[in-house]
Amino acid sequence: MATGAGRQTARAALALGGLFVVLLVLPAFANPYVLSAAILVLYFAYVGQAWNLMMGFAGQLSLGHSLYVGLGAYASAALFVHYGISPWIGLVAAVAVSLAAGAVIGFLAFRFGIGGVYFALLTIAFAEFTRIGFDHFDWVGGSGGFFLPVKEHGVTDLANLRGPPVMFYYIALAMAAGAFLAAWRLRASRIGYYWLAIRENEDAAQALGINTFRYKMLAILFSSAMTALAGVFFAFYYNNLFPEQIFSMARSIEIILGPIIGGLGTLFGPVLGAFVLTFLGDGLTEVTDAFGIQIPGLKQVFYGVALLVVVVFVPNGIWPALARRLGFGPAKKGE
Amino acid sequence: MTDTRRASAPSRRRMLKAAASATALAALPFPAIVRAQSGPLNIGVLLPVSGVQALIGQSCKLGVDIAPAVLPELGYSAPIKVLFADTETNVDVARSRAEKLIADGANVLVGPFDSGAAGAIAQVAEQKGVPFVINIAAAPQITEQGYKFVFRNFPTSVDLVRNGLALMRDLFQATNTALRTCVFMHVNDTFGQANRKAIDAILPTLNYLPFRVVETISYDPAAKDLSVEVAKAKATNADFLMLVCRLNDAILLRREMVKQRWNPMGIIGPGNPGMYEAQFYKALGKLSDYCISNVPWYNPKSPVTAKVEAAFTKAFPQDKLMYHALNVGFTFEAIMVAADAYKRAGSTAGKALADAIRATDIAQRMMIGGPIKFNAKGQVEGIASAAIQNFDQQPKVVLPAAAAQAKPVFPQPEYKR
Repeated sequence: MATGAGRQTARAALALGGLFVVLLVLPAFANPYVLSAAILVLYFAYVGQAWNLMMGFAGQLSLGHSLYVGLGAYASAALFVHYGISPWIGLVAAVAVSLAAGAVIGFLAFRFGIGGVYFALLTIAFAEFTRIGFDHFDWVGGSGGFFLPVKEHGVTDLANLRGPPVMFYYIALAMAAGAFLAAWRLRASRIGYYWLAIRENEDAAQALGINTFRYKMLAILFSSAMTALAGVFFAFYYNNLFPEQIFSMARSIEIILGPIIGGLGTLFGPVLGAFVLTFLGDGLTEVTDAFGIQIPGLKQVFYGVALLVVVVFVPNGIWPALARRLGFGPAKKGE
Repeated sequence: MTDTRRASAPSRRRMLKAAASATALAALPFPAIVRAQSGPLNIGVLLPVSGVQALIGQSCKLGVDIAPAVLPELGYSAPIKVLFADTETNVDVARSRAEKLIADGANVLVGPFDSGAAGAIAQVAEQKGVPFVINIAAAPQITEQGYKFVFRNFPTSVDLVRNGLALMRDLFQATNTALRTCVFMHVNDTFGQANRKAIDAILPTLNYLPFRVVETISYDPAAKDLSVEVAKAKATNADFLMLVCRLNDAILLRREMVKQRWNPMGIIGPGNPGMYEAQFYKALGKLSDYCISNVPWYNPKSPVTAKVEAAFTKAFPQDKLMYHALNVGFTFEAIMVAADAYKRAGSTAGKALADAIRATDIAQRMMIGGPIKFNAKGQVEGIASAAIQNFDQQPKVVLPAAAAQAKPVFPQPEYKR
């Protein structure tokens, strides 16, 4: 048995290594469009992984993760625009601001026993009133938008995150790989096991002596800090921020769709989900375009159908079933 | 049983092979970027035909649909090919679809009715050296970034408001009215806030406007009840209502005004949509009449408009151009700018097209204003606004006089049951 499990792990590691190599060399072969779609996949894989820590591992449903993306984006962008501070330093401020927001939400919710749907509503409420607040925050352009200067065309300036898509591709790849490794390490640690225990049965976990408040707080802090990094990436990749777009509920939904479809609580689920949603969604548009059919909103319908199919037929997501087929390991929840 | 399942179910090796093939296929370069020096001009059009802005994006697209038929009549006989992409009202998608259009061979990009999307597309256009003609997007910063391939044939939000306020003076002069007070109501979203800031900044500098704002009231764009806001506005006893709105809230607010029997001398929009849209007329009927919107509009007396209107009526017999004036007008003009540049450049190369667009001087245009000319930043200059007043559930130009279809009625008649 042990040999079989070891073989499965080795096989999975080999496949993962292969995938990483493919992703490393992708810019050499891919055209700009594929590269731009790949950046989106990696971005959503990263934020999906961050969200997965909370929901997939610790069982805390957040529907307002756009809050951390927005705070991270605005914090780093404002420091860069107003004081010329490098985004790498701004990142510290971005993480700090998001951590503070996560701490407030977590404390309010977990200290006073708010869970489940009510916790989800609380996260939405924070994202919404932050959006409204930023609509009136003139220092960062308010509702009129906040624009980062784009002057050095064709120059790669890693220190200030100014550069071509290839640079952002590798940053996104590093982020996604880092998040994967971090999630893997966390899940295999004591914290990870405590999170899984809380997810499965909080009362039982508490009865066993786990400080559930502390570990749920850790989940939201880890998740918000990681998501803030995605915000920094977003700000310097798109170079313009609008409260209505970055703090919107739609963005929160985009973040959670990947992990749900890919496989909640799994390590590879967020990556697979991001790939399925981005490439298959775009592929569908391509196919219909090729036949001269243009149906507005078809991709959104596809997202809805994909979610429906996953919920009905593979409630644990695509990855556990696929992993079993590929012989990468047992398909139990949480594996 | 087991054997059958094994035979039909994909084996691990087969799955791995399939996955590897799919990955390899995905990594293969898509059709290379084609930059032909002659042949049809490929115009990549990006609009939000799905998502929150779908209605407006679809309205803009009507201008795209009729362009190939109208352009030859205006002397642009060189063939054009439209490559269309839906931005889904999403900045991420806008950027990746712009990349896709360029990869598919777009020589010039047009779109996208949204400042956020325009900002994202502009970076792609600049990196790839493909000219980008913005049809509608008002954030001033877009043309302040030092871009060389980005052009905007639409006024900035500041210009929109300045033009709209200037038209108020013309309206008061044309109707011999002297107004002293105004209550300013605005929708509390990105657009409404931007307008409010512009009004707060510009209004005090315009000495020729005789009125002062006695109260500013903002309201939620998703409000289902505006009774409190309207009651508050009514209590100010202001001479007229300056309203920055969108469609749904405009309908709600007008109904509430009637309910509360509030009859100010008029309702004037200083540069916003809402009160000249088909749904506004359908929902309100007679109550929609006499509302005034000071917005960029097509010149009903321009020969270009006549040709566009004829093509529009032919292509969409159930619809009317007047309900899509701004959207169709600016989208059509953006495509015309691209076709005009192609005609002069004689090349589809990005730099040649960008240089030609920079030298654009189109006198015969559809929208009200001076000739289409871009400044060094790529911002068009000289676009004027028109005062549009609703009569018999139709928008009519009442100012400027040169383009007027009717005389302004101000103060507006009181509502009668």
